[in-house]
Amino acid sequence: MNLLQLEDVGVRFGGLRALQGVDLEVKQGEIFGLLGPNGAGKTTLFNVISGLTAPSSGTVRWRGASLAGLSSHRIARLGIARTFQNLRLFSSMSCLENVLVGMHQHARQPPLAALLQTQSFRRRESQLQQEALALLDLFQLEATAHQDAASLSYGDRRRLEMARALASRPQLLLLDEPAAGMNPSEKDELRELIRRIRDQFKLTVLIIEHHVPLMLGLCDRLAVLNFGQRIALGSPDQVRRDPAVIEAYLGGGT
Amino acid sequence: MDAGLLEQMLLGALLGLSVYLPLRCGQLSLATPGFFAIGGTVAALLSTRVPALAGSGSTYPITSVLLEMALAALLTGVLALGLGRVVLRLRGIYLAIATIALVEILRVVTLNLEFTGGALGIFGIPQPFNSAAGYAAFTLALLALICWLCDRLEKTRPGRAMAAIRDDELAAASQGINTADTKLLAFVLSALVAGITGVVAAHFLNSWNAKLGNFDASITTLAFVVFGGSRTWLGPVFGGLLLTALPELLRPVGDLRLIVFGAVILVGPLFFPQGVITPELFKWFKPRIGGITTAAAQGVKQ
Repeated sequence: MNLLQLEDVGVRFGGLRALQGVDLEVKQGEIFGLLGPNGAGKTTLFNVISGLTAPSSGTVRWRGASLAGLSSHRIARLGIARTFQNLRLFSSMSCLENVLVGMHQHARQPPLAALLQTQSFRRRESQLQQEALALLDLFQLEATAHQDAASLSYGDRRRLEMARALASRPQLLLLDEPAAGMNPSEKDELRELIRRIRDQFKLTVLIIEHHVPLMLGLCDRLAVLNFGQRIALGSPDQVRRDPAVIEAYLGGGT
Repeated sequence: MDAGLLEQMLLGALLGLSVYLPLRCGQLSLATPGFFAIGGTVAALLSTRVPALAGSGSTYPITSVLLEMALAALLTGVLALGLGRVVLRLRGIYLAIATIALVEILRVVTLNLEFTGGALGIFGIPQPFNSAAGYAAFTLALLALICWLCDRLEKTRPGRAMAAIRDDELAAASQGINTADTKLLAFVLSALVAGITGVVAAHFLNSWNAKLGNFDASITTLAFVVFGGSRTWLGPVFGGLLLTALPELLRPVGDLRLIVFGAVILVGPLFFPQGVITPELFKWFKPRIGGITTAAAQGVKQ
């Protein structure tokens, strides 16, 4: 069974068709890329999957079951985590607290134990802290654990968003332009990092990125969107040679 | 210091905490005086109309006050649960307007109902304490309890969820936080604090009428939090204590006092846009106080 399946998904904002008849299947364990020019509907597609935008038509299925009508926190609890293109960190909280909020659904403790600070409560709480610090460590953010998220550099903020998303122990990770604002060497590191977290956490990754070489080198399969429609689908090699993709990116020949 | 003024200051701190709870979750609710008025009315009615509560001694029994507080908490809690579901769909200033309307509706209803005493209100509310100092001690214990609960809340999972919603509601929902329920929790807790504060205030003031929960009170209690700060529970406590005391302490300057009071409220946010009490203040203080306590601890060991 496919982990995630989109069937004929369409989104209309008034007269604008942001997405139209999009079919996609994402398999367990793969790194699946979404390419496309600005305004092609990539982020809208992420918003539909994560429950922020309701599709006007079509169905999104998670392990075969429809996600229709589920609010975004319910979808997050099913194991779908995401990052945001225009960074949405909790800016008045420290990096550590950001990751702890990401652990929300696993951090539940009996209210009375929390009030009385019982031994088991404190043990569990310090265990969560260790887990959060380990995640920060993985993204080389351990030194900034107690700094406000707002004080981080742009690249660090992107990494913190990924750490926060991973904290919810997702099965599917949606990354919206994770390399934006990073320099070439950071982009290389990011590619290795995404592969490593996929293997370590047994993740499936759906990724939006503009940087074509990064995507061709990283993804198992790619889909290309243009004007809300899927114009190509396949392995990096197939997509690179696809005439429709070349036309969308370089313009049509006369 | 005059114990009567101290009691008013402590009540101010409690009301500040009531406004603070939803605000820490990013919700600007001005419903606090409404729930305060409900608590006061419950206490006034029960203690003047139910002879069984009066007891046999010369003073009104404290157990009856505690019972009134439990009933007021139940009533305001249930009401906040129902109202919150509806009004918390509104955001920002629209929520503020809806909650002001709620306060006004309650005021007009209290003013026109017969059993709440109409415009005159309810008189001769029995006294559980013989002196203002007794009230102050009781209220101080109540304030300490609620501060402790707020402190535990801030340092645990629901408190982190509230702060996350304040920073970015959409991102909070994407972390699996049920934002509607978390905001409702903050709103209900706020109503409970206001309700039980109303019970204490009714006994202390000896009479209760519709004027005690009005729009002016909404703005004054909001000023406690804006002035003190809404990042930790210490902010509204500080703001409530200081801004309640200030008009009284300024009595010697005569008619100028309201002008000075207004100026303080204006200057506060100008120089301390986050409020006077902020986490940065703690960071500044902590190494100093921490250093002293560690040194003291080492001294004890030696």
